[in-house]
Amino acid sequence: MPMKSDDHDHAALEAFFHAARRTAPAPSEDMLARVLADAETVRTAAQVRRPGTARRARLRDRLGGWPAMAGLATATLAGLWIGAALPARITGDDAPAYIVDITPEMAFDLAGGGY
Amino acid sequence: MRMPFDASEDLPDEDLLARFAGGDAAAARILTLRLTPRVMAHAWRLLGNRAEAEDVTQEAMLRLWKQAPAWRDGEAKVTTWLYRVVANLCIDRQRRARGGTLTLDAIPEPADDRASVTEAMQDRARAEALQAALNALPARQRQAVVLRHIDGLSNPEIAEVMEITVEAVESLTARGKRALQAMLAERKEELGYADEI
Repeated sequence: MPMKSDDHDHAALEAFFHAARRTAPAPSEDMLARVLADAETVRTAAQVRRPGTARRARLRDRLGGWPAMAGLATATLAGLWIGAALPARITGDDAPAYIVDITPEMAFDLAGGGY
Repeated sequence: MRMPFDASEDLPDEDLLARFAGGDAAAARILTLRLTPRVMAHAWRLLGNRAEAEDVTQEAMLRLWKQAPAWRDGEAKVTTWLYRVVANLCIDRQRRARGGTLTLDAIPEPADDRASVTEAMQDRARAEALQAALNALPARQRQAVVLRHIDGLSNPEIAEVMEITVEAVESLTARGKRALQAMLAERKEELGYADEI
């Protein structure tokens, strides 16, 4: 069967497109290095802009890493519990506790001393 | 540029970009090697000038790196986004260029080492003739024809890149191809392709 004109035109043009695909210019090593350098600059700048993460990591490392952080958290919770629970044990549940810190001179006046 | 094998080389562009946004330097290397040749070839087809195409490629890739943290999964393909950025950068360059056109380079040697000398010469002559004809097309027709017939995108993909309907893509590529055929037919004696066009 003879080839129709449209098919012939398409096939002929396709030969040119095929040649174009085979002659695509490749990027040079230098070009790839420049693109990578840009990527690294952007990546580094993004990490600087997220200081919270880096600062938290540095603090954690200075405190001795995760085991030390766990010990610190336990100690903090224990302190909170002691602070909340112990005053009731000392004073009793029904008696209000007043802890007044006064200077020695004030204590003398209150006791009726003086001139 | 040779890089050691990494399992993440098989990941889609979008996943690699997310890794890069998370601080993964290896993802940037894989994306650079995978995307830069495509971007460069496309820019060169639209501009016909290697130095300009390299500048456009570097700028497009830089924009990709900067876009990475804001990239939303499922929004668009990385390549679609890149083709759009390249086209916009090329249009800007052509507008800025004196007289609206850039100096055109010679066609590079065929990339396929297996091509014989005769085939290589034939490819080069055909590619040069095609590129000259492409450069004479209106910018949108050229972009549509290059995306469809050289980069191998589907019409819906081209519609997304060019932000037009599929019907508009079909119209652009049809008119572009007719114009190319007419221009190449004018040169058929000169190029020795009288039997083909």
